[in-house]
Amino acid sequence: MKPFGKMEYCWWTLIGITLFNTFLGEQFSSSALVSILVALTVMFKGLMIIDHFMELRHAHRYLRLMMRAYLIFFPSLIIVTTFL
Amino acid sequence: MNSEPPKAPLGIFPSSWSEQRAGRIPGHIPIWVGILSELTEFGIFFVAYFIAKYNYPEAFSQGPQSVSTLAGVTNTLILLSSSYFIAKAMINIRLDNRVKCEAYLWLTLACGCLYLLVKTGEFYWNHQQGFRTSSSQFFTVYYYMTFNHFLHVGWAACAVLWVIFRLRRGAYSAKEHSGLEALAMYWHMIDLMWILIFPLLYVLR
Repeated sequence: MKPFGKMEYCWWTLIGITLFNTFLGEQFSSSALVSILVALTVMFKGLMIIDHFMELRHAHRYLRLMMRAYLIFFPSLIIVTTFL
Repeated sequence: MNSEPPKAPLGIFPSSWSEQRAGRIPGHIPIWVGILSELTEFGIFFVAYFIAKYNYPEAFSQGPQSVSTLAGVTNTLILLSSSYFIAKAMINIRLDNRVKCEAYLWLTLACGCLYLLVKTGEFYWNHQQGFRTSSSQFFTVYYYMTFNHFLHVGWAACAVLWVIFRLRRGAYSAKEHSGLEALAMYWHMIDLMWILIFPLLYVLR
């Protein structure tokens, strides 16, 4: 058994991104850059879970597309509302 | 009444959507109907959040500073870990390792219970600070989203317990584990929703 495989790598990456996002939110006042960074990292986290934990990367094409579209659309609204 | 399950596809979807042409459906179709319904429900919440934030920027700037970021981060880490554990349970059932699969399911359940405990503590702490659903537009959205998510984790945790019971009865194996996989899909969906909720209510100001 591999002690540190792909799943473990994903798990620790997701934890690292979460802590990074929190640090951004706590240390910097709300700015367009912080919002964009948070939105992009949320997208990345979502896509990681869809591809590696849900294993949709090699599963049904339309389910994968729907899930990916969802996790791209809603974080994108964070970026859109930053400039409104 | 004919109680036999249908053998042929219903033929209501284009053939390009079939598993033969589009790829395997993890779990089964009913759980995906449920998952897509839940995603629609949460999608409406997110749209409501953005509309409210646009109309009441002051309340949504101060709101995240009032809630407990520590509780939010802790719950995010707990749910991410639970997703990892249930994915490991899936790997182990495919290897026919039921003992390890069960151990990972118990870890998932523990994470679910821990999440519920932290969230309850957070709600209690909010109450002590004097925050109510009517405190501000932010708190209306905050309670609506987080309590709804809380309920989802609650019943999904009950489903994990049911799947553990079924696993112990020998219902799942390397060959047939669609029920377990369906639960794993649902659990990941709950985690995904929290991944979206967390920055909106705890990080962005």
